[in-house]
Amino acid sequence: MLIKLAWRNLWRQKRRTILTAMALALALVLSLFMRSMQEGSYANNIENSAKFSTGLIQLQHVEFEESQSIEDLLPATDEFIAPAREMDDVERILPRLESFALAAAGDKSKGVMVLGVMPALEDEYSSISDKVVEGEFIKADDSAVLIGQGLAEYLSLAVGDELVLYGQGYRGQTAAGLYKIKGIVHFPLPQLDNLLIYMPLPLSQTLFSTGEQVSAWVIDTRELTRLEQTLADLKRAYSSQKLKNKVNVRDWEDLAPEMAQQIAMDKAGGIFMMYLLYGVVGFGLFATILMMTLERYREFGVMMATGLVRAKLLGLVVLESSFISLLGVTIGLALGTPLVVWFHYHPIELTGETAEMMLELGWEPILPMLLSPWLFIDQILIVLGLMLLCLLYPLWRIYRLDLVTALKGGAHVN
Amino acid sequence: MSIQTTQLRKTYNQDTDFPVHAVKQLDLSIEQGEFVAVMGPSGSGKTTLLNMIGGIDIPSAGTVIIDGIDICALKDKALIAFRRDNIGFIFQDYSLLPVLTALENVEFVMQLQGHSEKECRERAITLLDQVGLGEQLHKIPSKLSGGQQQRVAVARALAPSPRFVMADEPTANLDAKSTAELLDIMQQLNEKEGTTFIFSTHDPRVIKRARRVIVFEDGQLTEDRAQ
Repeated sequence: MLIKLAWRNLWRQKRRTILTAMALALALVLSLFMRSMQEGSYANNIENSAKFSTGLIQLQHVEFEESQSIEDLLPATDEFIAPAREMDDVERILPRLESFALAAAGDKSKGVMVLGVMPALEDEYSSISDKVVEGEFIKADDSAVLIGQGLAEYLSLAVGDELVLYGQGYRGQTAAGLYKIKGIVHFPLPQLDNLLIYMPLPLSQTLFSTGEQVSAWVIDTRELTRLEQTLADLKRAYSSQKLKNKVNVRDWEDLAPEMAQQIAMDKAGGIFMMYLLYGVVGFGLFATILMMTLERYREFGVMMATGLVRAKLLGLVVLESSFISLLGVTIGLALGTPLVVWFHYHPIELTGETAEMMLELGWEPILPMLLSPWLFIDQILIVLGLMLLCLLYPLWRIYRLDLVTALKGGAHVN
Repeated sequence: MSIQTTQLRKTYNQDTDFPVHAVKQLDLSIEQGEFVAVMGPSGSGKTTLLNMIGGIDIPSAGTVIIDGIDICALKDKALIAFRRDNIGFIFQDYSLLPVLTALENVEFVMQLQGHSEKECRERAITLLDQVGLGEQLHKIPSKLSGGQQQRVAVARALAPSPRFVMADEPTANLDAKSTAELLDIMQQLNEKEGTTFIFSTHDPRVIKRARRVIVFEDGQLTEDRAQ
């Protein structure tokens, strides 16, 4: 009977109930849309950035983070990487050998970063061959290199020219070599464009005399949402007795802390806006629940006089508020879900300067939406939390309700 | 089975310079099966007295003993249970739950006692039939006249089979015909089932029907007569 009573009580003030539920629904749709877009953008940015720099996860020698030295390397063997390959969530694995050297051509020289990669694998991951503006992309068995456009201009080099790389190799050996330029690649980020030299991994291993070793294994997951789990799996797999204290498993947040901080700050801003929105709607909900309580003081008094215990009376008000919230959540999800799903599969396409800037970075100019059950669950939990918060004062009033005062004429007598 | 008050007193604003003595040192005894009218001018303390012997208000001093139980000493939960099982209330403005039908209003108080749905339904129908509303079971209060609503309130008050029914000016909002019909019903129930009815009223039509009249003035009993 209490459920029936609570449900029917909702419709005593039909307009008020509908308006409150709609306000809740609107807040839910807006924040769901906003959060989905925000998280979608972060995921997209993380994936895009990962492709051109650190990757999502890297396996490094435990000392490499501090030393960045050619001395701290990992095996480049199948046996070493086999545990990672066996993981379902791992989509691709790229070996990289990274070190610094002095590049010289004619009377000019410059400190550069040399990246030894498996060209085909790297291209499949980041489509780097699309960024070649002159010449051709390198192959695994080439003895040539690919250099950044900024660097080529600084050293006055063109395709077919040669440059000298000079640096320190593994175990203090001298790393020196003369390499032909097979292609010039343009990176939108100047720090890469002015610094980077790509060469096939075997060639870089010869240059730095590392043998079958790499400075990092870059690991990409099928879904960004599986990152955390994959990270945990990798940490477990590479903490065996044999590899203990040798392998450091790092994610993009660890590898690119500036970006992680930027995202965290942006996310905090978004969440603040969301709570602000819910705060405004919360006042509406609070007013409705409070009015529903105060205007029925006498009725509550009569119910208690005829035998309804206080706990059930409190339960009745909780039920009524829950119904309003559920109504709001249901309407909100009914409107919000198709919207988010639609934009997930048909992302908003950016135009103008923003689009050009993104294209320049090699990113697709879209605003993708993330479709994750947690985003929906979060919104439902926020609405329920809001409802509980709004209920506190009305419930306290009922808990303190004096029967005689209530029967005399309600809250106004207090 | 009786209601016994001893040195019953109720003072509002007790700790201020202007205390209001609603009921002063009242000794009263009401036996099972009585049909009592408590009359007096507005503010004489009639409602306060009914509230105290109905377990709604707490006396400032004195005791209310019903069937040997000092209800003033009962805790909140026990008092609610005692009220639910022993005392029925009829209010001047009917005070039915507006979203429930006549039948559901009567069933509701029985369900609070823990009766089965079937029991509640059967008794509610019988009671509503007794008060002449057998054809109006599924109407919500706003679709009923004032007299009909007060009859539903009577059925609701009687639903838990209480031993006492406190009626606070039950005919104040009713016309002559409805008042007469309502009094007939209550009188019949009093005679047939032995339920004690205690009214607060200044309606001469009610006073005329009562078998005992208690006159209250300025919080004090000034007359107690049988008729």
